[in-house]
Amino acid sequence: MAREEIALRMEDVVFRYQENGKRNILDHVTLDVMAGTLTVLMGGSGCGKSTLAAVAAGLYPENGGCLLSGEIRLFGRPLGELDQQQRASYLSVMFQNADLQFCMDTLRRELRFCMENLCVPPREMDERLRRAAETMGAAELLDRKLYTLSGGEKQRAALTCLYVLGSRCVVLDECFANIDPDAVRSLLPMLRAMKREGRTVVAIDHRADLWLDDADEIILLKSGAQTAARGVTRANLPQYRAMFGELGLVYPGSCPREAAPLPRGESALTFRGVCIRAGAAQRRGRRDGPEPPLLLEHADAEFPRGCMTAVLGASGSGKTTAFLAALGRHPYTGTIEINGADLRTIRRKALCRQVGIVFQNPGNQFITQNVTEEIRASLRIWNGGLDDAQLAQRTQALLDGFQLGGCRRYSPYMLSQGQQRRLAVLSVLCGGQKLLLLDEPTYGQDERSAMAILRQLRQKVEREGLTVVFITHDRALAAAWADKLYLLRDRRFAELSPEEALT
Amino acid sequence: MKIERWNPSVKVAAILAAVILLSLQYLVSLNLLVFGSALLLLFFFSDAKPKSVAAILIPALIAAFGLFVTGLYYARGGSVTDAKLSSVSSVPYAVRAAMSRNLYTAAQLATRLLAYAGLGILFALTTDGEFFLQSLMHQCRLPPKFAYGLLAAFHLMPVMAREYRVVRTAFAVRGVRAGPLALKPMFTMLVNSVRWSECVAMAMESKGFCAGAKRTYYSVPRVHWYDWAGAGALVGGILLGMLFLRY
Repeated sequence: MAREEIALRMEDVVFRYQENGKRNILDHVTLDVMAGTLTVLMGGSGCGKSTLAAVAAGLYPENGGCLLSGEIRLFGRPLGELDQQQRASYLSVMFQNADLQFCMDTLRRELRFCMENLCVPPREMDERLRRAAETMGAAELLDRKLYTLSGGEKQRAALTCLYVLGSRCVVLDECFANIDPDAVRSLLPMLRAMKREGRTVVAIDHRADLWLDDADEIILLKSGAQTAARGVTRANLPQYRAMFGELGLVYPGSCPREAAPLPRGESALTFRGVCIRAGAAQRRGRRDGPEPPLLLEHADAEFPRGCMTAVLGASGSGKTTAFLAALGRHPYTGTIEINGADLRTIRRKALCRQVGIVFQNPGNQFITQNVTEEIRASLRIWNGGLDDAQLAQRTQALLDGFQLGGCRRYSPYMLSQGQQRRLAVLSVLCGGQKLLLLDEPTYGQDERSAMAILRQLRQKVEREGLTVVFITHDRALAAAWADKLYLLRDRRFAELSPEEALT
Repeated sequence: MKIERWNPSVKVAAILAAVILLSLQYLVSLNLLVFGSALLLLFFFSDAKPKSVAAILIPALIAAFGLFVTGLYYARGGSVTDAKLSSVSSVPYAVRAAMSRNLYTAAQLATRLLAYAGLGILFALTTDGEFFLQSLMHQCRLPPKFAYGLLAAFHLMPVMAREYRVVRTAFAVRGVRAGPLALKPMFTMLVNSVRWSECVAMAMESKGFCAGAKRTYYSVPRVHWYDWAGAGALVGGILLGMLFLRY
C-alpha cells in the first residue's frame, strides 16, 4: 500500500458563502490527509468542518458560495480538472441527515443508480451489488423501502452506497450524530472493512470517544477550519486536554456534572400502565393489515416537577411517540396524568397551556417569518388582554433573556440551529407552560450550543420551577444535566443512575 | 400478459390518442365500450387493487351522475321547460325530461366522462413511476437530470408527509388553530423541502451523478411488437367504433 500518497490536499483554501461577506468560512486552510488512513476531523459547531467536506468533494462552490483562492488535489489530481463523475470515484461524502441521501426508493435501486453514474457495465452490476451488500452486512435491507428504515439502517444503506461507488476516499460528515450508540457500534466495523481494502476514511465529528480505537490520527480544527493540532491519537491525548476545552469539544471520558441535583418534587407527568402502538396517529382506525408493534407495554414512569429528566433509548424505541401521547396526540391505553389530573379529562387547549414541546427540527414550529413577530404572536395567543406596548416590552425582555436580542429582525429560518432551538423553546413557553418536552436538543448542533440551551433551561428550572423532560442519544449529556434518567428499553422505562448511563 | 408490462411511453401515447379521438365523437355506446374494456383490463389483466380502482372510480361516477343531471335539465335546445312539453301538464316532470332529446345529450356527456376516467385509471394504476421515467429517458429522450430529479422528489414524499404531520402537531401545541387546508403548515413544510432538495441534490452529485456525463443503465425499456399491438388495438378499436357504431 502506498502509504505516502496524499489522498486529499488542500492548500491555502479560502471559501465563503457570500462573495461580499466578511467572514471566511474556510480561512486559508491547508490540510493533507494520507491515503489509506482513518482520519478524524474534530471541531466545534460553526468551525467550518462540514463546509470543508463539501468543498473537498467539489459540491461547493458548484452549489453555492465562492472559492476565493487555494488549490485542492485528490490523489494528486487538481479537483478542477475532474468532472463530478470522476470526483466520485476519488472522493464521496456521506451526510448527516440520513433521510436526504437517496434518490430511489429501495437500496437495490439506489445501488444501481450509483453504479450507473459511474458507467459500470450492466452485466457486472448484480455481482458487484451482491458483494457490496454482503461486505457491508446490508443484504436484508436491499428491498425494503428506504423511508421505513431506522436512522441507523439508513446510514448503513448510505455507507453501502459509498462502498459500491468504490471511491478511494470517503468523507463522513457527522453521520453518526443522530443515531443511537448501538447503531454506531454496528457501523464502525463497516468502516474498518473499507479501510482494510485500502480506502481512505475521513470522519468529521465533534466527539472523539467513538474513534479513539480506530483513528490513525485526529486533527483538531479551530474556527475557519484551520488546523489547531494534528497527530492526536489515544497515546498522546492527555497533552491536548486543554485544547479540547478551548475548542468547545468534550474531552473523551470526562463527564463533568453540570449542575447540582435538585430535590425531586412530586410528579408532573406520570405514566401508569401505558401501552402505545407504533404507526401514524391517523392510520390507527384502519382494520386491514397486522396491528402495528407495541412501543410501550404497561410502562410506568414519573417525571418529577421542577427537575430535568432525560429519556434515553435506541432510535425507534418510541420516545417521541411517548411524548406525543402525553400531548394527547397519539392513542394510548392506561393512564397518563399531568399534575395529578388524568390526561383524558383535560381539554386540549388547557393541556397546551400546561405542556410545551420542542421537536427535533425547530424549523417546524415557527408560525411567522420574523423573530420578534414569532414571540409576539405566541404571547398574543396565550395572553388575550395585553396591549401593543406591553406586548413589545415583554417580547423584548424575553428575547434579551435568551440572548436573541441581536437577531430581532431576522427570519427564524436564517438563524443558526442553536438559535432556532432557543427561539422555539422561548415561543413554546410564552403561555407560562410549566412542563417542557424537548426532543433531541443536540440534533444538528455540537456540544457547545446544546450546552448553552441546557444551561438556560437549567436556570429556568431552578428559578421558575420549570419541569423539563428531554430525549437524547447522548448519554454523557444526559448524565451531566439530568436529575433523573430513564432508559426506554424492552418497551418499559427503566430508571438509571448517572453512573449506569455512562457504562 | 399484464398491462404493467406495456411500454409506458407507447401506452401514454396510445391513451392520449384515444382521448383525442373520443373527444371528436358523440357515441354513447362507444364511450361505454371504452369504459367497460378499461375496467375489464384493470380487473383481469393487471395487478391494480380493486380498492384503489374504486377510490378513483367513485368520485368519477358521482361527477358523471352530476353531469348527467345537468345535461338532462339544462341543455340548450329542447329544454324541459319547452312550451310544447310543458303544455302536457298531466305528464310528470321526470318523464317529460326523459322524453326530451336531452336524455341522449346527458348520456353523451356522462359516458364520455366515464370513458376518460376509465382510460385515466388504466394508465395511472398500471404504470410504475420509475419504469415510466426510464421509458421516457430511452424512448422520448428525457434528460436523466429531469428523470432522476423527479424520482428523488417523488421519493421525498413520505418524508414530507411525516414532516407535515409533525408541523401540524407543533402548531396545535403552540395554540395555533390550523384547518385541514391551512396554508401555514404547508408553508413551513415547503421552506423545509427547499432545503432538503438541496441536500438531496448534493448527495446525488456526491454519488457521481452528473447531468451531462455518459452513464450506463441496468435495464433499458424496449418497445416490442406487443406494445405497438396494444396501441393499435386501442386506437384502431375506437376508430372502428366511430365508423360503425350508430348511437
